Amino acid sequence: MAKRVSADRWIFGSVVLLVFLGLIMVFSASAVMASERFGSAYSFLFRQFAWALAGFLAMLILMNVDHQKLKHPALVFGLLGITAFLLVAVFFLDRTHNVHRWVRLGPLSFQPSELAKPALILFLAYFLESRTKSLTDLRNTLLPALAPAALFFALIAAQPDLGTALMCLAIASAVLFVAGFRLRYFGYALLPLIPALYFLVWRVPWRKERILAFFDPFSDPQGRGFHTIQSLIAVGTGGVSGAGLMEGKQKLFYLPEPQTDFIFAVISEEFGLIGSIFIVVLFLIFCLRGFRVALRAKDPFARLLAVGITAMIGIQAFFNISVVLALLPTKGIPLPFLSYGGSSLLIMLASVGVLLNISKQVE
Amino acid sequence: MEPKSSASSSAKKTPNQNRRIYGLIAFLFLWSCLIAVRLFSLQVVRYGEFTQRAARQQQRTVEVSPRRGMIYDRNGHELAMTISVDSVFAVPSEIPDQANAADLIAGVLQTDPREVLARIQSSRNFAWIARKLDATASQRIRGLNLKGIYFQKESKRYYPKSELAAQVLGFVGLDDEGLGGIEKKFDDTLRGRPGKMLVSVDARQRSLGRVEKQPEPGSNIVLTLDEKIQYIAERELERAMQETQSEAGTVVVQDPQTGEILALASHPTFNPNVFHTASPQLLKNRAVSDIYEPGSTFKIVTVAAALQENLAKPEEMIDCQNGSITIFGHRIRDHKPFGVLSVSQIIQQSSDVGAIKLALRLGESRFDQYIRAFGFGSQTGVELPGETRGMAKPANRWTKSSIGSIAMGQEVGVSSVQLASMVSAIANDGVYTPPRIVAGMVAPRTTPTPQAVVFKPAEQRRVISPLTAVQLKKMLEDTVLFGTGKKAILDGYTSAGKTGTAQKVDTKTGRYSTWAHIASFAGFAPVNNPAVTVYVSLDSPRGVHHGGDVAAPLFGRITQQVLAYLNVPHDADVRHSRYLQLRAAAKNADLSEGSPDRLSDTVEFYGDLTADAGPVPALSTSANSSKPTPNEQERAKVIAASFTPEQKTQPRSVDPPMPSAETSAAPAAANGTVILDSEGGRVAPAFLGKSVRSAMVAAQQAGIEIDVIGSGVAREQAPAPGQTIPPGGRVTVRFSR
Repeated sequence: MAKRVSADRWIFGSVVLLVFLGLIMVFSASAVMASERFGSAYSFLFRQFAWALAGFLAMLILMNVDHQKLKHPALVFGLLGITAFLLVAVFFLDRTHNVHRWVRLGPLSFQPSELAKPALILFLAYFLESRTKSLTDLRNTLLPALAPAALFFALIAAQPDLGTALMCLAIASAVLFVAGFRLRYFGYALLPLIPALYFLVWRVPWRKERILAFFDPFSDPQGRGFHTIQSLIAVGTGGVSGAGLMEGKQKLFYLPEPQTDFIFAVISEEFGLIGSIFIVVLFLIFCLRGFRVALRAKDPFARLLAVGITAMIGIQAFFNISVVLALLPTKGIPLPFLSYGGSSLLIMLASVGVLLNISKQVE
Repeated sequence: MEPKSSASSSAKKTPNQNRRIYGLIAFLFLWSCLIAVRLFSLQVVRYGEFTQRAARQQQRTVEVSPRRGMIYDRNGHELAMTISVDSVFAVPSEIPDQANAADLIAGVLQTDPREVLARIQSSRNFAWIARKLDATASQRIRGLNLKGIYFQKESKRYYPKSELAAQVLGFVGLDDEGLGGIEKKFDDTLRGRPGKMLVSVDARQRSLGRVEKQPEPGSNIVLTLDEKIQYIAERELERAMQETQSEAGTVVVQDPQTGEILALASHPTFNPNVFHTASPQLLKNRAVSDIYEPGSTFKIVTVAAALQENLAKPEEMIDCQNGSITIFGHRIRDHKPFGVLSVSQIIQQSSDVGAIKLALRLGESRFDQYIRAFGFGSQTGVELPGETRGMAKPANRWTKSSIGSIAMGQEVGVSSVQLASMVSAIANDGVYTPPRIVAGMVAPRTTPTPQAVVFKPAEQRRVISPLTAVQLKKMLEDTVLFGTGKKAILDGYTSAGKTGTAQKVDTKTGRYSTWAHIASFAGFAPVNNPAVTVYVSLDSPRGVHHGGDVAAPLFGRITQQVLAYLNVPHDADVRHSRYLQLRAAAKNADLSEGSPDRLSDTVEFYGDLTADAGPVPALSTSANSSKPTPNEQERAKVIAASFTPEQKTQPRSVDPPMPSAETSAAPAAANGTVILDSEGGRVAPAFLGKSVRSAMVAAQQAGIEIDVIGSGVAREQAPAPGQTIPPGGRVTVRFSR
């Protein structure tokens, strides 16, 4: 029987620590650029701090709202609908640089693609719980389960933000995998994905450049390999103990987006191997505890929800770090909790709130 | 992990789902391991590679000159110092209007604006605009308040005493490289290690700030020179050069006991602060790099060798054959027809014939040995660049007549420093001490306290015995008193020395010049316990050109002032008046010496010289013999009459001797070494300041007995110097350290 225990302290602790470190590193990475661009070195820090406060508020609220209440069709489909609407709306609202990613509300800006991930997770957990008996039913289970994921993938990839789009797929895959889908279904799913990726990657020049740069960054160090090399230099110069906080040089316009996608490179440069491993270990602790929550969850809904949230954060974190370390080709995926970016941080923390609530009710 | 169909589907918790969760955990764990391995590889294994890459793109290195070490004199007075001056550089990417900035700066610097603009445009992140500006210019550029224009402190060499010891100190170029003198010889020591200014640049090649790696300052060098003595030497040399209209001149002042050079002057000179305006000829240190025939001063070597080898005694009479000798077909005439002279008189009167006869007694190889023992033919090792070895052919390369030429200082080439060191060996009781000009080094930013500088004496060697040295000292003193060196008589001090007059080689004709001479005087004072050796040479004086006429007074003026400056106690007070009388007599004396006759008319020896000797002259010249004019001969007779040894005791005097108790001593040999016989008894010589050994030698010479108490340096004596010793009495001398 389900019993009530206190929320998982390891998850809570590691997340608070990561957000705190994130604030420091956002400041370190952005101070020079911010003072140059906005006249204040604290510009990015203050915004991130505001978002973190909002995020923690959301986390605390959701932590204390029974997650079973989320199991409501109006909420689940409402969220899907709003996300789909916003993802379509950005094509008309945001015309900056031919990239349609942001919804702006006054001083606030919001990335609907961030909302797509929890919306998908919630939907899959809700939908699959009711279909646990008919997982092999292609028409009534698999296709309906995949439909929102495919829609979001298409909309986000069209922004264009292939990284987040693929991330949505990866999260959905993780949930479907744990839900018990046959492995060969994943094989089938990959078949149409390969030509899709071929067209999305190989036929889009800048993506192709990135892939080429990934395989041999030093072939064109000033061109397509530049970002990869700069990232590696940042990490490499960190050595064992790092240059020290604020002492990194690579963030000074060598690294692209040092406060967002490449914040891990700044951490590596300023805190070295010790700091980098520490961050990886924090994420690993979070994931292990998150999956422990899933293992102990009292029903499939809670389990899949926990798996989805944990996988979302874990995969995104390791993917981001792998990009920084040139283990994966460059994709614009932020590092959860650490990267600058309000919508991402808010949603991640809200998701953690749900995860913590699940951890309170174990079997 | 093919999932089984969910048989237990009704269960809320399925083992299948749990297995898959573990699968996800394993996947993420392996992924994190891969990340950790990659981190280790990048941050530990390939750390160096990436650090280099980062430095290459992030830093632009600019060298910052280190603070060059100071050069001090022996008392810690600055002779060369380094001052901080501003250099101006631009970070061009920060300059909004480069053309305007160039115009403004060029206005201050009074240069072409296009030149300044070209410098600015030469780089995006760093460009020197002007190096080592003076204070006003840098202040005015500061006043312009230009964006992107910065100042960097750099060091500039400054010689506060301007021309003083210019050739010794040398000078430095714009990049602080030593280009002459001590600056060149000890460049590595003085220079220090350059620092670096790392200009960090961001990816847009804009400067992000500068990190300075402090340069390591160079060590300081302490010279043996004494600023005051150097000043005296240079002032007097300059004056003498004006009076005699000489082309050049050198002065060496040396401590005979330690070999330390107290002053080394070379004129004409230059101001090292603005060395680039000086002609190259002025920059070289004549006293160490110029080589010339010494002439009669070299007879000291001839006589020293003969005495040391017991081939002659000071009083031994040598037939000077009426001033004429034929050696291997060459006839040599003395400047005066001397009859029979004692060895001592040969030195006093500078008889060529006498010197040749003594050299012949020595033989070539023994003579050669002594020449080398006195340091000729090899570098003395004085710490200055461009030192000449001089020219002393080995005996097996001498021609038959060489021995005669060399005996009187021809066919041999010396530098001023070599000659001074030879004389110092005589003054130092026969011990040769190589000359030194660097006392030591002190660490950067350390003031040269006596503790910091170790004046360590160089390796000494005995060349002649103390007895021979004492005999020579007396001869040289007599030369000043009675011979060719009368104009070197000092007030209140005994002095000793030898004149020299040598023909120069006319570089145009390749022959010995008939009018260009090098007049020199080598001596020391006080005679008993020499404080300084002073060597002076004047190149091509106009008119009177004999060493005794032009060089001896210069020696006198320098030595007089140096002894006073060094607080050397007078050793000749009591005979002061008599010196004045002798000096009055000396005014009328003809101090000519040296013969235009040459044993070797060729100047072939110059063929051996290094490039600094100037063009190599033709091999052979015709003999040039100029007979003394009747007038000169007449004067010579007067001199000979006045200064024959028999007449020593009765010098012609204008004024009678000053009556005093001390001067009851007969006006005999004014000689500090030998006590004076008087009617009533003997006068105690001054032992004060002498070592035990030299006091005993002096006493033995004087024929008195002394009681030695203690060891070290004589501090007290009874009876006091100048007082009469009772008949049969002894002198008690107390020594202490």
